[in-house]
Amino acid sequence: MNFRTINLVIGREYSTRVKKKSFLILTFVVPVLFAVLCFLPSYLMLHTKEKTQQVAVIDNSGIVMPWLESGESAVYTDFSGSEADSVKASLATLGMDVLVVISPLDSAASVSVQTFSNKPAGVDFADALKSKVNKAVEDYRIRSYDIAGLDKILKDVKADIKVQEFTLGEDGRETVSESGIYMIVSMIFGMIIYMFIALFGGMVLSSVIEEKSSKVIEVIVSSVKAIDLMFGKIIGIALVALTQFLLWIILTMVLLVGANAAFGLSDMVKSADTAQMMQMAAPGMDAGVDLETLAQEGPDELSVVLTTIANIPWGKMLIAFLVFFILGYLLYASMFAAIGSAVENEADSSQLQLPATIPLVIGFFIAFIAMRNPYSAVVWWGSIIPFTSPIVMLARIPYGVPGWEIVLSAVLLLLTFMLIAWASAKIYKAGILVFGQKSTWKDLWKWLKQK
Amino acid sequence: MPIIECREVCKNFGEKKALDHVSLSIPEGKIFGLLGPNGAGKTTLIRIINRITIPSSGEVLFGDRPITQKDVEKIGYMPEERGLYRKMKVGEQALYLAQLKGMGRADAQKALKEWFVRFGIQDWWNKKVEELSKGMAQKLQFITTVVHRPSLMILDEPFSGFDPVNADIVRQEILRLRDEGATVILSTHNMESVEELCDNIALINKSRLVVTGGLEDIRRRYGNDNIELVYTDAEGRHTEVLPRESDGRATLAAYMEKGVQINSYRELMPRMNDIFIKLVTGEDRI
Repeated sequence: MNFRTINLVIGREYSTRVKKKSFLILTFVVPVLFAVLCFLPSYLMLHTKEKTQQVAVIDNSGIVMPWLESGESAVYTDFSGSEADSVKASLATLGMDVLVVISPLDSAASVSVQTFSNKPAGVDFADALKSKVNKAVEDYRIRSYDIAGLDKILKDVKADIKVQEFTLGEDGRETVSESGIYMIVSMIFGMIIYMFIALFGGMVLSSVIEEKSSKVIEVIVSSVKAIDLMFGKIIGIALVALTQFLLWIILTMVLLVGANAAFGLSDMVKSADTAQMMQMAAPGMDAGVDLETLAQEGPDELSVVLTTIANIPWGKMLIAFLVFFILGYLLYASMFAAIGSAVENEADSSQLQLPATIPLVIGFFIAFIAMRNPYSAVVWWGSIIPFTSPIVMLARIPYGVPGWEIVLSAVLLLLTFMLIAWASAKIYKAGILVFGQKSTWKDLWKWLKQK
Repeated sequence: MPIIECREVCKNFGEKKALDHVSLSIPEGKIFGLLGPNGAGKTTLIRIINRITIPSSGEVLFGDRPITQKDVEKIGYMPEERGLYRKMKVGEQALYLAQLKGMGRADAQKALKEWFVRFGIQDWWNKKVEELSKGMAQKLQFITTVVHRPSLMILDEPFSGFDPVNADIVRQEILRLRDEGATVILSTHNMESVEELCDNIALINKSRLVVTGGLEDIRRRYGNDNIELVYTDAEGRHTEVLPRESDGRATLAAYMEKGVQINSYRELMPRMNDIFIKLVTGEDRI
């Protein structure tokens, strides 16, 4: 190993990539996309809530209207007695957005509901309307039994059940948790590490092919040992990846902070910090976390979400992300380097690439299973066996993984990397000097055995 | 003293023998022609001297000791398959290659600027390699081969791709570097440039060394040293090639008796081209 030349190789690989326009574009676009993804749903949700729908109601049943309480999202106005067709025709001039026509009660003590609007009224509106009309009809039906003291009975039987999830910690402590959050975090980490390995491993592949196709390789290896060149390349591109990752984190944080300042979302998160305070806030006015579930399931939920997020082992996750990304990248990058050494142009590489990309994709699929079913045997083995372990382990960690399993998986990955790197270096050394033939896996095997 | 000495060098690729017990020595400060048909094993031998590949057996000495990785900094190699990083800027590229050969960045910059001026490509420093014409790229390639003042230069078909004017510039540079003490290994199929430039040669065929030695010795040894007689008679000028063994005095006397005018009578130096073909195919065309 000649560290001087390795450093030069690393420097070239790094600086040519970091100076590229595509690097800059990717660096800025991804955080913006990420921030948009984070904020758009919350933003839309908050801002669409402010628009109140004006609803004209023609209640031919006579029982529904009292149940249609006006609220923030809709104001119901009684148009009973008007002709549906004339209201339809002058909906806009009446200042109405939607017309709801409720049929007379039929023989089964039921009604049918039709809505008319110039623009679609939206799923939320339809859901809210449905549940209100259901309640009206149910109330009507139960009253037809003429039960004495019905109001009190109804009040007494009303139930509001919530399921609280607890995670039993190793110390026996119980923590409130919310599976949905684990799922999201698991998915994000699994995807990111998969993307990173595929993206930067692929970069190693094309870098090797570029040197071969431009024929510069022979000049380079007359100054640098092939193995130094290979590792210099792999390390240089790893540094590009880490730089990009760091810039993404910084830029995303800047954007999130900026967006917070602009839309004031964090204030709401803070004010919702305790369940008590949350109860005062109207449902729907919540943090940018998991709005829909929150809005529907009541106030206590947000504190659960926040506790869950706080309970995810973030430090462990970030360290695991770095360790598994670096090891996983090194493993796949050295395979890609060996494959790249066998081909002279990118088009020829797809067939040879397959055996290297298949385990990566399998890892991705197992990570998907892990998201919903983190304790299955497939997922456990997937997170231990190298090749799939970087992706699957990251998807598992939010659900809690014993330390020894992480260490075992990382050590196995490291050992596999060393074995693969040794084999790849042998293949690479021979492959980069072979020109003018279409190499197959048989050739790679031959080069591996060559002394 | 030889700068490079190959001792019983063998290289096998699986079953195939690329080099079979090749021993030769390359004298310092001379131009050494490495000849042989395509696929003979020249490139493999060059790669072994460069330490790009390791011999299966045998050894290569650099000066008086086995060659090491550090020694490759003293070698400049221009392979037949030329290539540069197409997306890199010309100057950055040249600096990178010079630094790989052990030069400091500042030294490399200074030396490169001088070479760029000498070859008239100083305006191209900040251009990308892919914008260069083929001839320009060849010049850049030559500069990157020699900029670190190697004591041994290995040039594989150095004149291919150059127009006659630039080929001559390169030829002059090779001679100049030789005169300054550098050793040159010239691998080429162009026998004229071998005759013109080389002091010593080695011929490899089918993985084996066929012959090595001084150019003149080899010409003398393998040539038949025929004699060329040019004379003019009533019908015009005639050229006749006579075997060396013929009795010169008697031949000339016989011709003069015919009353023809003798224009010249001289020993013919055998052409390297013919020696090459003779040694490789066994056909005697000399």
